[in-house]
Amino acid sequence: MPLISLIVLCAATALLTNRFLSPFNLTNILVQSSIMAVIAMGMTFVIVGGGFDLSVGSTAALSGCIASMVMLEAGIAAGVAAGIVVGAAVGLANGLVIAFLNVNPFITTLGTMVLVRGVVFLITGGAPVSGETGLPGEFIAFGSERFLGIHYLVWVPAVLLAVLSFVMHATPYGRRVYATGGGREAAYLAGVPVRRVIASTYVWCGALAGVAGVMLAARLQSGQPTAGEFYELTAIAAVVLGGASLQGGEGTLYKSVIGVFIMIVLGNALNLLNVDSYWQRVAVGAVIIAAAAAERLRSHRNQ
Amino acid sequence: MTRPAISAEGVGKRFGATVALDGVDFDVALGEIHAVVGENGAGKSTLIRILGGVHRPDRGVIRLDGKECHFASPRDAIAAGIVTIPQDLRLVPALSIAENIALGDLPVRRLGPLTMVDRARMRSEAHAVLAQLDFDPDPDRPVAVLSFAERQLVAIAKALRRRSRVFILDEPTAALEKREIERLFSVLARMKRQCTAVIYISHRLDEVVAIADRCTVLRDGRVAAVAARGTFAVNDLVGAMIGRLAQGAVAFSLPAGEPLLEAQPEGVATVCVREREVVGLAGLLGSGADRMIRSLFGAGSDPTMVATRGDKRRLASPADAIAVGIGMVPGERALGLIMNQSVRDNILLPNLDVLTRIGWLDRDAGDRLVAEVMELVDIRPRRPDLKASALSGGNQQKAILAKWLARRVAVLLLDEPTQGIDVAAKAQIHALIRDVVARGGGALIHSSDLGELARLCDRVLAVRQGRIAATLERPASLDEPTLSSAIGG
Repeated sequence: MPLISLIVLCAATALLTNRFLSPFNLTNILVQSSIMAVIAMGMTFVIVGGGFDLSVGSTAALSGCIASMVMLEAGIAAGVAAGIVVGAAVGLANGLVIAFLNVNPFITTLGTMVLVRGVVFLITGGAPVSGETGLPGEFIAFGSERFLGIHYLVWVPAVLLAVLSFVMHATPYGRRVYATGGGREAAYLAGVPVRRVIASTYVWCGALAGVAGVMLAARLQSGQPTAGEFYELTAIAAVVLGGASLQGGEGTLYKSVIGVFIMIVLGNALNLLNVDSYWQRVAVGAVIIAAAAAERLRSHRNQ
Repeated sequence: MTRPAISAEGVGKRFGATVALDGVDFDVALGEIHAVVGENGAGKSTLIRILGGVHRPDRGVIRLDGKECHFASPRDAIAAGIVTIPQDLRLVPALSIAENIALGDLPVRRLGPLTMVDRARMRSEAHAVLAQLDFDPDPDRPVAVLSFAERQLVAIAKALRRRSRVFILDEPTAALEKREIERLFSVLARMKRQCTAVIYISHRLDEVVAIADRCTVLRDGRVAAVAARGTFAVNDLVGAMIGRLAQGAVAFSLPAGEPLLEAQPEGVATVCVREREVVGLAGLLGSGADRMIRSLFGAGSDPTMVATRGDKRRLASPADAIAVGIGMVPGERALGLIMNQSVRDNILLPNLDVLTRIGWLDRDAGDRLVAEVMELVDIRPRRPDLKASALSGGNQQKAILAKWLARRVAVLLLDEPTQGIDVAAKAQIHALIRDVVARGGGALIHSSDLGELARLCDRVLAVRQGRIAATLERPASLDEPTLSSAIGG
């Protein structure tokens, strides 16, 4: 279903403007989608587990800035690792509060969203992090160059999608995430350690937001404290467009990635068609609601 | 009897390829209690949903007072005086008793341009209808603090206030204790005297025999039999429901072996389940018997100490209990299965560790295991990819058992394992439990159906106020009346 929507959207756009299928534009779409796809995959873990995470945009900004700072002092590998670890740590904090203190995920992650953004501004003083001579050249190359004709940035979600799909579908852990989201009490009575499972989904989400933050820093050639704003909303919309249920227990990583493509292609199409940017927001919002409503109607009819 | 209050003539209804009702005639007169029985999937729910305006029939007519009528929605049916009291009652727990009774038709008073709820009248009206039911709670208390039986009376009061003439009660006694059932029956008798028509859906056939003026048996969407009061007994109904004669099977005791599970809850006796033994827990609603089952599974509010085959263990979570070979069938099916997931995933969930090969799941072994246990417990249809929510109640219950049979647990804890499921599925579940026991396992069963405990168990522990008050041994003291007095019913 999401795949068909994406194909129809692409076909319609291609008919309306011949610029859509140009190699430059398609590459642009892939690169734009790559960072959001990484965030949406983490969000899929959380949503399938029955939760919700609003803090991913702020976490990505924090990870990007920390990665840049560490990189300037201790090299690329240390920087990248620091960025991802910081993201995972934010996720762990979210997960512990939500799973073990039973605070509502919406409220918890709304809090961390604001808190983490504040921390980013505190440690950067509000200025981009790129040092006096800029970030290391190899790191910047990672944000702009290609391997086998495809951007490094696009390889990241491609590899992650393969690995994480295996985790979700072929490991006991993945099945327990689905079970927990589908019915927490029933999963608990089947022996699933539901609190640990729920907390772990936020760790995945935070770590992947960290990866996205590092990718973003590579692309922007600096750690930007304002980066990643509204990423959480786009990511949640993409996961829902991909057919996941906010009730939990349903959702697939590759479909969430297709949801990301739908969001990005839609924005791209509206740009190419010279739609006024204010109207673009209206259109994107309407599409999200329409897609979710269509999905509800479809599942209702199936019952 | 008088002219029917409501009647269905030749009603048919299909859902996709499934024929739910196939030319059913049914009627109920004012002042009559008409029971509808049948196995799951026989068409009972569809019939009452058509009468209640939820579904529209594909063919046939519905007549109200002899006049053909078409309900477009449940609202229309309620306006015409037909009220369904569903199993879950559909009350708003946070609102008061008076508010729940008035909801949908609030008494109002006008204050200039403002319309306000007339709280005083709402309260006095609630009081008046509740008095008719011999129930006298403070109408300002929230419904959330009431017991299930009390909530049911509130739901009935709500319908009485609307002056409804046709009451449809769907499995009203499924969650009631004996005394509460008696109170409900006296309420129904009074409603009957007040010329209300009652349609009574139940799986408990002894109740149907006791209370119904007439009984319609549905089988495969058709009327298999209609009988008037005094002309049928439980066995006739069972025969008509499943199309053959049922045998009242009584289990044979096997020589019990070593203790499998021992625990010392508060009270005079130890809970001890031995090899080849079925132990019952009997208790009124609120006696704590259901909590005892949960706690023995490590799912209580505090960790439990139990001895399994003599080793002392601390169970802090169900995972701990499963690890030592205990499985539990919870009282609510929604807690036994993850409804939006497939039967396969549900059966595999407690067995994932067994099926893991260096970090990943062995799918083929899983599929073989699922196929094997689905065959063993006879889940129909045999489709492991079907969502659990698509199964009938009896098959859901079998799927929950299948999870634990796949693991070959030593001890099965069961809370109300046959509540709300049909006779045939009930017999199959009893047979499965006896099977587990015959192969050297043990079972501990809590049931509010004392007849079931008397037939199935080797020993029954009577629970009062969270304590074990007495132990009743087969065959000397294992019969329904003795059990009933032991639990204080």
